[in-house]
Amino acid sequence: MTSIKVQKLQKTFQSKRKAEGLSGSVRSLFKPEYSSVEAVNNLSFQMEAGELLGFIGPNGAGKSTTIKMLTGILHPSGGETSVLGFTPWKDREKLAFQIGTVFGQRPQLWYHLPAIDTFTLFGKIYELDDRETKKRIAFLSEAFEMQDLLEIPVRKLSLGQRMRCEVAASLLHRPKLILLDEPSIGLDVVAKQHIRDSIRRMNQEEGVGVLLTSHDAGDLEALCKRVIIVNHGQIVYEDKVSNLKRKYLTTKMVEVRYAEEIAKDFSIKGVEILKVGHYGVKLKFDAAITSVDSVLAHISAAGDIVDITISDPPLEEVIAKIYEQAKEEDNKGK
Amino acid sequence: MKTFSKYWSIFQITLINSLAYPGELVGRSLMIIPFMWIFYQLWKVTYSAAGADVISGLTLRDTLWYLMLAETIELGRPPIARTMSESVKDGSIAYILNKPYDFLWYQFSTAMGESIFRAVLNAMFGGLTIWLLVGAPNHPEGFIIAIPAVLGAWVLHFCINAMIGLSAFVVEDVSAFTWVYQKLAFIFGGMLIPLDFYPQWLQVIAKAMPFASAIYGPARLFVTPSLELFINVMSLQLIWILVLSLILAVVYRRGITQLTVNGG
Repeated sequence: MTSIKVQKLQKTFQSKRKAEGLSGSVRSLFKPEYSSVEAVNNLSFQMEAGELLGFIGPNGAGKSTTIKMLTGILHPSGGETSVLGFTPWKDREKLAFQIGTVFGQRPQLWYHLPAIDTFTLFGKIYELDDRETKKRIAFLSEAFEMQDLLEIPVRKLSLGQRMRCEVAASLLHRPKLILLDEPSIGLDVVAKQHIRDSIRRMNQEEGVGVLLTSHDAGDLEALCKRVIIVNHGQIVYEDKVSNLKRKYLTTKMVEVRYAEEIAKDFSIKGVEILKVGHYGVKLKFDAAITSVDSVLAHISAAGDIVDITISDPPLEEVIAKIYEQAKEEDNKGK
Repeated sequence: MKTFSKYWSIFQITLINSLAYPGELVGRSLMIIPFMWIFYQLWKVTYSAAGADVISGLTLRDTLWYLMLAETIELGRPPIARTMSESVKDGSIAYILNKPYDFLWYQFSTAMGESIFRAVLNAMFGGLTIWLLVGAPNHPEGFIIAIPAVLGAWVLHFCINAMIGLSAFVVEDVSAFTWVYQKLAFIFGGMLIPLDFYPQWLQVIAKAMPFASAIYGPARLFVTPSLELFINVMSLQLIWILVLSLILAVVYRRGITQLTVNGG
């Protein structure tokens, strides 16, 4: 079943342009100049019910604008969208009962009050009865490990604790779909892991679909099955995360430590040597061109191996590569 | 029923939230004391210069109690337009619009929640000051009779301020509009001078405007309560509330399509 269907979605913002300095300001008062910014340009995609979909892109790529159109907050300039069978900007209130949203950069919990007050309020807003709200809060506080946090004023919580409460609050009304806009922004490694685990659990146990925007490739790797990469309001890549890895993660980094000193002129054909030390070597090769077997054979022939690490490049690099490719194609097109 | 309890809960949480910093709440309300002191000095001189105990039907005591209630209404009302404008500027409006409630009813519930304690404290400090300066009000029952009119005044203030706030969907910063509104309310609402002291022609104009229904009406009803005045004030308020809320709903429908959410 499809939960989100977006067809040729378009959002154009008019932004005022002003020349430098005072004279520019005065001129723009009498003769304002506007330029159109295409935040979202002809975007089409689908998301299945219960899917974990990553929606990533650099700053200003149009991710948040898309999310705001999917929740009905913004009206699009063109195109069609159906979210759980609703047209978001026409049926905003009806749709709100079925979806949850978290904007990582802005709090939705009442800042001066304990989180439990916001949870109870949301229970009323989503028209749950009091018993159901209590049961749900108990369940979520266990799932998000926030039993000890609920009665502390939100302003006293750490960012990680607050984000756990934020995400949990968006799940109070058992939405079929949650839209998470940068939920891990500013969090440390442990807090990120916490949030990811809880989101994954809710997806598995309740089948809630997750559309996640993030700058953090780690979120994508840990959570998403499929990824859409956008830039300049357009899709530049769309595939399974596993395919993305297979296609782009062909470069391998190898670090070897030997028991004895190795030759200074250590080299292997088709392999880039990054660093040679007395007892170790660091190298990089493309597994699509040079076979892993032959590289390993050369490495072991060079001496007794004490330790070896083979790693993939970070996903950030892969994504950066995809942006670069898209940019080059764009330039060629022009 | 569920819809009502939704807005009632929003009202309640805002009410609790307004108590988060009691020191600030009390400190802000104390401002009414110097205002009342200044009004007392000004009007004492005016009445003695005029050499009259009663001007346009109001004694010095009436005038000061009138100004106390006018100030209570004005200082108690929440800065809805500014709040709405801020939420557009910083993008937090995204969280107001993604919940299953009506945007305007949500704003109304929070506005009322923010008003109550502020108004009660203002009335308390202001009333105490005036009481000490000129004695008890001539008609203590006016307190009770004026309550519905004070609530109506806030509804009216809300309609106008929300309209100014909605203009933030297009222009983002609304401080100029709120400034103009405040000055109009000062002059045509009878904030500094009861409208009865104006020349006849200006009284007619001012009393026909919504500002008078939002300040002068309830304040005058408070000092000279009567059934006739009650009906008069309430019906005029009701007409303005109907007209302005209708316009507000239309402005909202149009404004929402223009909204640009900043950030992210």
